[in-house]
Amino acid sequence: MATRSFLVLIMALLVFLISTFTVSLMQTNEITLIENQEGKKLSISEDLFDLNGNKVAAESLLEGKVLLNVWASWCITCLVEHPFLKKVTASKDVELVGINYKDQDFNAKKYLIDNGDPYSFSVYDLSGSFSLKLGVTGAPETFLVIDGVIVSHRIGEVNMEVWNEKFAQYF
Amino acid sequence: MKNLLNIFKLIVALSLPLSLSAENLYENLNAEELKRLSYLSDNIRCPKCSYGNISSSNAPISKDLKEEIAGLINEGYSNDEIFELMEKRYGDYVILKTDLEDNKTLFLVPLMILIISILLVTTYTIKKSK
Repeated sequence: MATRSFLVLIMALLVFLISTFTVSLMQTNEITLIENQEGKKLSISEDLFDLNGNKVAAESLLEGKVLLNVWASWCITCLVEHPFLKKVTASKDVELVGINYKDQDFNAKKYLIDNGDPYSFSVYDLSGSFSLKLGVTGAPETFLVIDGVIVSHRIGEVNMEVWNEKFAQYF
Repeated sequence: MKNLLNIFKLIVALSLPLSLSAENLYENLNAEELKRLSYLSDNIRCPKCSYGNISSSNAPISKDLKEEIAGLINEGYSNDEIFELMEKRYGDYVILKTDLEDNKTLFLVPLMILIISILLVTTYTIKKSK
């Protein structure tokens, strides 16, 4: 009798154990993506300069609807999305501001001369410190900032499909 | 022979500053703080490459993060505060250290089962030996 109840208990424990772990593992079925910065406030704690060395007023990034695009001349994917950015700024009323990420200014200027310049201006972020605080993981990345709040964030290339999904609703 | 010795001396002389600069990568940190830096960078995932921690990664952002963490340690931030800061920026996804509070089931269920089994086995064997 004792053996029997003992076996039943062990079985019950085993079933409990297996079901507990099955349930907890089933919840993590989805692929976890890196958290994007949507919903966060854009904070500017340092002086920013554009590619020509002029000081950038913080208000120009914090007021109204601003599309921030992180780019660099060494970044291949940026070159891929560049024609799309030009198309967007040509066809829509978009204030596109570049963040030049870990790049030499002469390379960056040459890139804009060679490929066209869709940006109102580009923030020159040689050390990457502004981008790091913004939550940038690499180039290219695109943020839509409305009145200082990041409402949409794309890690990677922006194309027509991504634009329609993440940004088109705001324009 | 003398030439060889000279070449050897030259190599030593040239490699000396190299090894020194490697040790002084984070020159503002003492040995204790360097240990903390390596603990932190072992337990924070690289947000760009996703499959390794920032101490094992060569991505530019990992280098930046290590430097930022070194700066934060220097400013007197505690380990927990640094973890919190990183979690706030990139989500709990980047924290590789397992938090006991969030995973109570995972830690407690096996422990409970172990204790219950020990109790059952001991009572069972005691009963049987009588």
